[in-house]
Amino acid sequence: MAIDFEFRKQVMDHHIGSEVIKYCYQCSRCADNCPVTAVTTDFYTTTGYNPRSNILNALLGYKDAIFAADELAIWGCTVCDTCDEVCPQNIELTEVFTFLKNQSIAQGKGPDFIYAQAKAVFDSAKAIPSQPAIERRRQQMGLPAVAAPDVNEVQTLLKNIGADKKLK
Amino acid sequence: MRKMTEYKMFEGCTIGNRIPFIEAASRKVFDKVGVQTSQAPFACCPDPTGVKSFDNDAWLVMGARNLCVAEAEGKDIISLCNGCTNTLRGVSHQLKHDSLKKDKINAQLAKVGKEYKGTIDVKHFVDVLKDNLDKVKGAISKQLSGLKVACHPGCHYMRPAEWMESDDPMRPTTLNEIVATTGATVVNYGEEILCCGSAVTNAYPEHGMANLKIKMDAITKAGADVICVNCPACFQQFDTQQRDLSKQYDANYNIPVLYLTELLALAMGVSADEIGLKFHRTRLSGILEKIG
Repeated sequence: MAIDFEFRKQVMDHHIGSEVIKYCYQCSRCADNCPVTAVTTDFYTTTGYNPRSNILNALLGYKDAIFAADELAIWGCTVCDTCDEVCPQNIELTEVFTFLKNQSIAQGKGPDFIYAQAKAVFDSAKAIPSQPAIERRRQQMGLPAVAAPDVNEVQTLLKNIGADKKLK
Repeated sequence: MRKMTEYKMFEGCTIGNRIPFIEAASRKVFDKVGVQTSQAPFACCPDPTGVKSFDNDAWLVMGARNLCVAEAEGKDIISLCNGCTNTLRGVSHQLKHDSLKKDKINAQLAKVGKEYKGTIDVKHFVDVLKDNLDKVKGAISKQLSGLKVACHPGCHYMRPAEWMESDDPMRPTTLNEIVATTGATVVNYGEEILCCGSAVTNAYPEHGMANLKIKMDAITKAGADVICVNCPACFQQFDTQQRDLSKQYDANYNIPVLYLTELLALAMGVSADEIGLKFHRTRLSGILEKIG
């Protein structure tokens, strides 16, 4: 398996406490406490979502092993941050997984839901755009109208950072 | 420094534009407890499970922009949502601990005439209520004795502890403590810190449902009358998915869900009509009868 040193460096750079990720000794507390591992893996299988394998592959620079696998290997993460809390080495695993997900998107992969939400945010500056029926309901309940954000300003920021090019 | 008493309200996309009845209940409770808020033109936080997964830099620049909006008024943010709190605190954390990222994001913000300085704090409404627990107790006018409540604080309220700095990340107690002020009974069900599975349900519904089943089975076994939450994503997962879960597993999951502020509003004498409880998917008639 090829080691991608650039990928390895990017993982290290993304992790705020970058030195601690090197201390992972594969104890598997992350996988043992992961709710998605619990429902996708049984004792006899090696498929399913596994945070421990992701950290190992990311740390060693095995980019192909991560991205050639079923997308569940990355997108199975439900972002509950439980692994971050149980890790004896204080590795912020979920931040590493964020980097892997960002890389997956840069390759045009990943769940439709993520693209749909990003598109809504780009178009309206809200993940859930305002709709007349809800606006009426707010009024009926005596709520003030939601303060409208500056959509142009948000779009400028997203374009300048290059996020619009990743939309489908 | 002047003590800040008025917060900028961050209701978030889900509550503001989909389930505003939760905002109605929250505003009633804040009024009774004396928590002052005002509005600001915030954009999407954005979602720590969605946009952050899409592009971390996009997440940073939008989150930082929102923080700038509150900084311009010198007021702390009060968030009604776990996800928004997690994002705004997480963005602050990354920018405060990574000067390269901060320079990169501020260079972008400068182009729209903004600068992130890191001068305001972001509070989850649960923590604000906890800080005002005596006032919460004082506003309770109706004891919800006999009501058995399963508390679900949700992942992003307290994890990662590194930057959420609120409750114990693996043994949370704050939500239980606030619910107990109503005279209701908090039931232990053993899966309190298990994720509702909202994020994985969006990508892999079958795995999300398998996770929700574990959670619902534990809550059912504990004999809870109602599930109490403090996050709109968790609220929707419990309120809208129980029917599908029942179909998928040929079972009958139908435990009503109340937002913490809805439960408190009822205990503070606000009527179910005033806070739009009829808009819930799960039936509340049973518990409304029980609490009288």
